[in-house]
Amino acid sequence: MPGSRGRTGAVRTQSPSEDPPRAPRRRRRETSVLVAIIACVALVLVGSVFPIGAVLGTALSPQAWPRYVEFFTSSVDLRILWNTLALGVLVGLAGTAIGFLFAFVQARLDVPGKKVLHLIALMPVVSPPFAVATATIVLFGRRGLVTHELFGLEYDIYGLDGLVFVLSLSLFPVAYLGLLGMMHSLDPAMEEAAMTLGASRWRVFRTVMLPLLAPGLAGPFLLLFVEAIADLANPLVVSGDYTVLASRAYLAVTGEYDTTSAAVYSLILLVPSIGVFVAQRYWLGRKVRTTVTGRPSGTVHLITSWARWPVLALAVLVSLVIVALYGTVIVGGVTRVFGVDHTLTFTHLREVLLGVGQEALKDTTLLAAIATPIAGVFGLLIAWLAVRHLPRSGGWLDFAGTLGVAVPGTVLGIGYLLAYRPSRYVGDLEVLPGLVGGSAVAGGAVAIVLAYVVRSVPAGLRTGTAALSQLHPSLEEASKGLGAGPLRTFRTITLPLIRPALLTGLGYGFARCMTSLSTIILLVTPGTHIITSQILSAANTGRYGVAFAYCTVLTALVLAGFGIIRLLVGRTTTLHRVSGRYAR
Amino acid sequence: MVPRYLSPSLLIAGALVLSGCARAAGTATADAGKVVVACGATEEWCAAMTSAFTATTGIKSEFVRLSSGEALARIQAGKSDPEFDVWHGGPADGYAAAAGHGLLESYLSPNAAAIPGRYKAGDGAWTGVYVGVLGFCANTEVLAEKRLRAPESWQSLLDPALKQDVGIAHPATSGTAYTALWTQVTLHGGNVDQALAYMKRLHPNVLQYSKSGAAPAQQVARGEVGVGVVFSHDCVATKEQGFPDLRVTFPSEGTGYEVGGVALIKGAHDPVSAKKYIDWALTPAAQEIGPSVRSYQAPTNPKARRSDKSADLAALKLIDYDSTAAGERKLELTRRFDAEIAKAPKS
Repeated sequence: MPGSRGRTGAVRTQSPSEDPPRAPRRRRRETSVLVAIIACVALVLVGSVFPIGAVLGTALSPQAWPRYVEFFTSSVDLRILWNTLALGVLVGLAGTAIGFLFAFVQARLDVPGKKVLHLIALMPVVSPPFAVATATIVLFGRRGLVTHELFGLEYDIYGLDGLVFVLSLSLFPVAYLGLLGMMHSLDPAMEEAAMTLGASRWRVFRTVMLPLLAPGLAGPFLLLFVEAIADLANPLVVSGDYTVLASRAYLAVTGEYDTTSAAVYSLILLVPSIGVFVAQRYWLGRKVRTTVTGRPSGTVHLITSWARWPVLALAVLVSLVIVALYGTVIVGGVTRVFGVDHTLTFTHLREVLLGVGQEALKDTTLLAAIATPIAGVFGLLIAWLAVRHLPRSGGWLDFAGTLGVAVPGTVLGIGYLLAYRPSRYVGDLEVLPGLVGGSAVAGGAVAIVLAYVVRSVPAGLRTGTAALSQLHPSLEEASKGLGAGPLRTFRTITLPLIRPALLTGLGYGFARCMTSLSTIILLVTPGTHIITSQILSAANTGRYGVAFAYCTVLTALVLAGFGIIRLLVGRTTTLHRVSGRYAR
Repeated sequence: MVPRYLSPSLLIAGALVLSGCARAAGTATADAGKVVVACGATEEWCAAMTSAFTATTGIKSEFVRLSSGEALARIQAGKSDPEFDVWHGGPADGYAAAAGHGLLESYLSPNAAAIPGRYKAGDGAWTGVYVGVLGFCANTEVLAEKRLRAPESWQSLLDPALKQDVGIAHPATSGTAYTALWTQVTLHGGNVDQALAYMKRLHPNVLQYSKSGAAPAQQVARGEVGVGVVFSHDCVATKEQGFPDLRVTFPSEGTGYEVGGVALIKGAHDPVSAKKYIDWALTPAAQEIGPSVRSYQAPTNPKARRSDKSADLAALKLIDYDSTAAGERKLELTRRFDAEIAKAPKS
């Protein structure tokens, strides 16, 4: 038994040809799987591929060709490309590192206050556009309360440093949650074995834990990279003179009325995203490391030596910064002008809760609540199909599913306009009514929900893929051997095993829906009011008190959503421990 | 990969459905008795305007708030079956671009006669409803620390004592900053090189070229810079948020301005109501609504009462702002600005 575990573990890396861990292919596919494939293909086709294709059609049309020559000969444009890549890599590294730090403290350190740290690490999942970036400027900017008032510095936060700071802090929770789930499901027996053989803690960490977690590290890095380079709201606030492709594409639309240039910038932005994706598949595809065989044994040995304190201190420091930023948002919502006039006032909150904001709160929550379960299910379904059932073409499905965040929201929004604003006819038959705009089906809400789904699927997809690639298929094979169909196996075996990933996917997806800005702004109609577009309006006119109040309420709503998702999804017990005992 | 044939056939089926032709809408002559407005100003302004219109005329109205570029993209995408009837608010260069794409229907409102010629398009493609004047927004406290006074001229903005203390947006991304750049061109008698030379001399004083035109007002308010080049109404509105140290000044050499427009969308479903809306938007009553929702642009209708917080167009030295020429040369100027100025080290 321990022998077989050692073989699949990280001690030796094996190539798939030696011992293919996946189910044998080329058998008759079950109807249920077929239905799942069709549903997923339809979703990515309608939700991302076709709208993005509509934009790229513009980007590849002959009148856009000279723009590429211009781009690659203009030092200004090349600088923007370089800036974008640097930002993506730095945020990917910093965000994954912070996520790893928090997950490590949570899963492996014997320290007090872990519950509090967990909650703090979840806060940035809700990062309403503008809030964190603006709070950063108020606290750490040239005249920041911390940098200037406290330390007397005149630190210029605008630029790459500020962007990496804001984006890593906003994006790291997905890395944290993914890594935490993985660390919990790591088989401690492997570490025990290494320690029994005389390896030090550091050596175990370096040679056993890190290699085992590698797929888990690459997943968040990829997601963070793509999200960082596609992010819009933060560069608009803190980038200063540091221009990146996503904000350049947005400003080509809003400042220059030039959709062609925007499409060109977006196409160029897609290239590094695809590149990272392909590299990750190539790199991870060659090394198969499965640990969760459904039979984790032994107990986790929490670190009790002095070494836990510096690690904890680092995590606490990051937590303090997060608390300060979110504290600023909350306090800013109930003071007249935070940083200048700290008189307590409830006018901002009243405007949000009882005034013009009320409709927006209702509409946004309803639409997000519809989109979240759809996105969560499809995210996991695509991950499952890609990892287990479609060894070759699955990669494309996976990629198409990630497209929703790989392109800047503005571009996706324009794609929706181009693709779904007009009704479609084949001959005289209306095959697809217009989906966008106040006169469209359901007042344009269908397009908004679809956009929400497409923007949130990648969260569940990435965490699901990472969790599944760690899960040895033997349990599922056993289930199939006993006569269960693939969907039933998925529901009763796979799903419980990767429940943390589902939880992450749903929670993060809901937060994404609620805070999504750039796509939605092009789809709002007179009948649907969206919180983020109200925040944008308030921030644009310098009414940060109202913007902060919106963000506070938005955060509260998302946290309530997390609670409900936990209640609904968390009912399943952690099956793998139980089944482990039965397996013996 | 069992159903080898399946994926391709699915793709083809999907593509067939999606690529069905977008049929051109039949010319709509009926009028549903309501107006759908694409609104380019603030949320409050849009809400106040549409509800006042409904209260005055009894015609139902609804709006979507969109920035100029977003409105333009959306109107363009929906041109075969427009969802909007009227475009109201937001800078006129967006309207000019839309007219260039054939998205607007010319409409010479009887009420447009009262509007001065410089605030409307001659062919009736759009008519001005408000004017925003470019000015300086100074933080008197920050300037007092450096023993400086609020600048009163473009020349005084070049004072080396203001090193990295001026906030201005990037002309490629902000209409405000482009207005400032074109103002320099006009002040230098149309000589682009001299205008760029001025911007180059200003460059060491600029902290950063921010993305949005209103951002410098925020930077000034928080004391991050001493002076911002912004539309004066943005400065006044920011001051009202609780920053009493702000002060608006105007350059003595002359200054530029933006015009906010109103226009009829081509193929609008409710053309009759839409025209009524435009007629109404040009009346003094409609133009006096702005200040009640903290929008302090000056009215274009000379008969409208001016709020004491709005700039007094009659008392200011306004340059002769040729928005057509400005629009035509925008790409060339912003490219040169990017290559010659924004990249230069700030020493």
